[in-house]
Amino acid sequence: MKCRIFGIDFKNPVFLASGTFEFGLIYKNVSNRVGAIFTKGITLQPRKGNPPPRVHETACGLINSVGLENPGVEVFSRDILPQMRKLKTRIIVNVAGFTPDDFVKIVGELDSRVDAFELNVSCPNVKKGGVAFGRDPDICAEVVANVRRVTKLPVIVKLTANFCDPLIVGRRCVEAGADGLSLINTLHAMAFDIDKKRVLIKGGLSGPAIKPVALFCVHRLKDLGVPLIGVGGIMSGRDVYEFLLAGASAVAIGSATLRDPYAPLRIIKELKRLTTSG
Amino acid sequence: MISRRLKIIRKKWYTDNIFGLEFNYPGLRPLPGQFLQIQVDEGVDPFLNRPISIASYKRARLLMVIKVVGRGTKMLSAKERGDQVTLFGPFGRKFRPKKKKSLLIAGGIGVAPLHFLAEYFCKHSVNFDMIYGVRTNRDFILRKDLEQMADNTIWVAEKGYRRAGTVVSVVKKIDLTDYEIAYTCGPKEMLIALQKLDMPIPVYAFCEDFLGCGCGLCLGCAIMYRGEYKRICVDGPILELGGIDFEV
Ligand SMILES: Cc1cc2nc3c(=O)[nH]c(=O)nc-3n(C[C@H](O)[C@H](O)[C@H](O)COP(=O)(O)OP(=O)(O)OC[C@H]3O[C@@H](n4cnc5c(N)ncnc54)[C@H](O)[C@@H]3O)c2cc1C
Ligand SMILES: Cc1cc2nc3c(=O)[nH]c(=O)nc-3n(C[C@H](O)[C@H](O)[C@H](O)COP(=O)(O)O)c2cc1C
Ligand code: FES
Repeated sequence: MKCRIFGIDFKNPVFLASGTFEFGLIYKNVSNRVGAIFTKGITLQPRKGNPPPRVHETACGLINSVGLENPGVEVFSRDILPQMRKLKTRIIVNVAGFTPDDFVKIVGELDSRVDAFELNVSCPNVKKGGVAFGRDPDICAEVVANVRRVTKLPVIVKLTANFCDPLIVGRRCVEAGADGLSLINTLHAMAFDIDKKRVLIKGGLSGPAIKPVALFCVHRLKDLGVPLIGVGGIMSGRDVYEFLLAGASAVAIGSATLRDPYAPLRIIKELKRLTTSG
Repeated sequence: MISRRLKIIRKKWYTDNIFGLEFNYPGLRPLPGQFLQIQVDEGVDPFLNRPISIASYKRARLLMVIKVVGRGTKMLSAKERGDQVTLFGPFGRKFRPKKKKSLLIAGGIGVAPLHFLAEYFCKHSVNFDMIYGVRTNRDFILRKDLEQMADNTIWVAEKGYRRAGTVVSVVKKIDLTDYEIAYTCGPKEMLIALQKLDMPIPVYAFCEDFLGCGCGLCLGCAIMYRGEYKRICVDGPILELGGIDFEV
């Protein structure tokens, strides 16, 4: 099931999505058998994350508002990356910036010690009134172009489907030099506490509930000419197969690991069976 | 961590909303405070597993005691002897209780993990007393077992006729200097009230909250502890009561 994307060899097209497998260091036997692992979102400064509740189950999925808790690029680079580099898998760093400059600094700091970068453009752009980067094709293109200048490694942009057309943003990213696109990030969602008559959680929806949306987005971008990584609600080999049919070159498993940390291994096995039985 | 698909070998209703499930689970080797993630259904709704403490583990027999509070526990309560259930774990920090005279303070279903702590103390010949509070006299579970294991026990029911009160009212009255350490598990309001008593001995709380993965992957179970977020599932669930910030 080897695959070659962005000029890199991966042992299979099943990757681990950002934010749902820590840094791959807890279940190393899973990390070692997937094609690649996307790290948790890494920001310039350390972030404590949001107050609880941070997860809330909904029909066939969950809403999370973890708030990008992470140790910051310095600690990641010094303490965590060296451990990750011992894993037998590709490392793709999920770069989360709050200003266009953040992306360049983080990528510059880690360049050449990882396999690729995934730009998480879902954060609010603090320089532009807090509107998410991902909704603004001009800013996204600018971020990609700037990052392009500081690294030769593959640059993937993780697109959002929140309040925007990923095709428009995706096309601009590709023109600006993106090597690939991954989609989708979580969908804006909320839930109420009816006893206390107030908001229970506001965050991002993930899990099987969003799979049809993710498939639609991948299919919509299939002719952009760069490899696509499908993300959203994948629970089985059949789900992966659907994403491949939609036009993805690889997929990433997110929420499924919260239910079963070994799910990626089962999914790889199922996919193998599906692809070899023709 | 391992995952096992096991048959329920015994099911028992203790009260009208608390039931126990027993499994034959050789080789588990759990420590007090540890829990398993139970998959409620093979389908994806409910999506997340439910964390349930180990209430007893003897000669490979695993007991989990569950209170029906919502959809997931309701669905679990429909399972019967012979049905298969998928369990992940054990999870939770490897916490080895000190072998010192201890006080166990249980509120409601919080008795489940403390029952396993009691078993652990018996096995290691540690002396302990127990205070156990519930709503009404009908809500006590595992009572005989606990009476056998503890040196002294005090049972209180909020609406009890002989001894009406709460564990907090009992703790206020007893001499805590008889003990070197205390362990507690119960509803959040009880933990907050105990924290306010500022007891003169170290108190460890078994924290229960909504979890995501239960095993350190998602950062969904944050609890503010001594000025920073800790993960209940891997840094806890046993944490020092005084360090928890319940306001966050
Ligand atoms: C380490 C640990 C050990 C545990 N051990 C035991 C045990 O031994 N026995 C036992 O009975 N229980 C135990 N619990 C608690 C148990 O896991 C929960 O009661 C169970 O997950 C509830 O599932 P449910 O689907 O029935 O309820 P749900 O339907 O998920 O929720 C129950 C209630 O809470 C509300 N609710 C749901 N999500 C939220 C939220 N994010 N914020 C506020 N309110 C919300 C719902 O509206 C509902 O009223 C333990 C928990 C932990 C963390
Ligand atoms: C708890 C949690 C944390 C996440 N953290 C990140 C993150 O840091 N960066 C990111 O780009 N996506 C993050 N995501 C989104 C996932 O990578 C993925 O795009 C999304 O969950 C959809 O896939 P799924 O349905 O398989 O989970 C997170 C998702 C969850 C559930
Ligand atoms: S529940 Fe996922 S990290 Fe604790």
